[in-house]
Amino acid sequence: MIRNLKYEPRVLMHTKPGKAHPLIQLVLTRKTTILLWLSVVFFFAPILNEVSAQRRFSRNYPATRNVRLQLLNRSGTVEVEGWDRPEISISAYLENPAANIAPQSLSGTIYIDLVKDNQGRNGVGNVNFVIKVPRLSIVDIETRMGNLSVTNINGGLVRAMISTEGDITLTNIGAGAVDAQNGIGDIFFDGEMRSGGHYRFTSIRGNINLRIPFNSSFRLVATAPSTRNISLGSFGNSNMNLLGNGRSVVGRFGNGSSTLTITNHRGSISFIRR
Amino acid sequence: MRVLMQNTLKRELRTKMNCGECQKKISVFLDNELDEITSATVRSHLALCAECAKVCEDFAAILESCRLEKPSEILPPNSQALWCRISNTIESEINPGPKSAEVQKSWFGRVWQVSFSQAGSAVLGIALISSLLTVVGIRNYIEPTAEDFTSRTDASQTTIEKVLSKVGLADTPQEARMRRFQEQRAAIEYWNNRVQQRRVQWDNKMRDAFDRNLNEIDQAVGEYTTILQQDPQDDLSGEMLDSALNEKMNLLRAFSDL
Repeated sequence: MIRNLKYEPRVLMHTKPGKAHPLIQLVLTRKTTILLWLSVVFFFAPILNEVSAQRRFSRNYPATRNVRLQLLNRSGTVEVEGWDRPEISISAYLENPAANIAPQSLSGTIYIDLVKDNQGRNGVGNVNFVIKVPRLSIVDIETRMGNLSVTNINGGLVRAMISTEGDITLTNIGAGAVDAQNGIGDIFFDGEMRSGGHYRFTSIRGNINLRIPFNSSFRLVATAPSTRNISLGSFGNSNMNLLGNGRSVVGRFGNGSSTLTITNHRGSISFIRR
Repeated sequence: MRVLMQNTLKRELRTKMNCGECQKKISVFLDNELDEITSATVRSHLALCAECAKVCEDFAAILESCRLEKPSEILPPNSQALWCRISNTIESEINPGPKSAEVQKSWFGRVWQVSFSQAGSAVLGIALISSLLTVVGIRNYIEPTAEDFTSRTDASQTTIEKVLSKVGLADTPQEARMRRFQEQRAAIEYWNNRVQQRRVQWDNKMRDAFDRNLNEIDQAVGEYTTILQQDPQDDLSGEMLDSALNEKMNLLRAFSDL
């Protein structure tokens, strides 16, 4: 028996010199397949689990042309886009299904306050919003962390604020007042400046890039004290003055009908002709 | 005999009232304001004395002409004011060095003697000046609040503020800035205490992001503080420090609610 036991493997191994036994080959092949499947399951299981754990919140509200959207998020991305329908569409993807979200519609304003709705709670996680609003809406969005994006808005005000980290992207904006502020991250504005409008961009560290038409008209105060990197591009003229050894640029472009204030404590400021 | 008696009577009547007394009473006599006895005595004296009769005739002629002429041609315009001016001139000549109080009194007296048009012009002028001062005052009061986020600087200081700070009744821009920084630091300390109590509840991602941003702001605050220590007059660094401290305060306040 012992001999047989000892013999069998030898027989199996040496049935055909230079090649493994077909049975062993089959076992080895299956082992590889199993290992491959196991690794796939191992790597993708958390993602699959996460996907299955996410909750989607969706709701539509009838709205006037100049409705106000006021959103305060804790963490996550917010995308706001203007459209031609007289309604607001809110879609939110909640990383933690237990997170609370309770939008309110009060006298022409849609309020969403994730901070208040989840105050004192642990593990709220990211809440990512995709919101569509009428083009003439007033948009006032704020988050503690995460990217903000606003597109196709021509209302009275666009305000985007990130308390800590995240990029702000404002494209195709024609609002009368724009206020964008973040901590660490870039700010990009692509839009028009209305006569009599007020435009303010503030960052602690990042790049502030403005893409505006050449027929814009504004009074400028741009300050980048740490880098002194202020590039006016096509908008540089004799009415612009360098102050504080190049830390600030103050002046007028066109007839100066709007005000533009840019402050970047530890980053750069650039103008791009649209 | 008859002539003698007449001469004697004349002498007696003359002795009763001499020419001086008669001429003093002529004006009153012509106004019929003397009693009957005195009037009879004056009349008798005038009948006997040619000299006094001539004086009486002259007086009567003057009074008659005054009655016939219009009062406006005789009296100067605003005769009372004219007499006052004459009186003041005489007084000033008599007392060449009047006391200041008297001068003030006479000045005030003169002010009250202006015409209606002068008084109107004066009131209009005062109203105009006070309106201008009010407008300037309001503008000076409103201007600081219109500033974006910056503290006051030498350049943005109004004239009134400059004067007050020179007199010592108001802070200089540097003093005001230092006071503001102290207030901001006190507020930051308050919010920071609240954040320290809350931050245990945050997840790691949130905590790291908060710390990175706070560190970034602190570096900026450090840079501006260093520049201001070297050059306290650097208004731009003062404004930036003010802005950075505001950022820090806002960050702490925002996270104190989480």
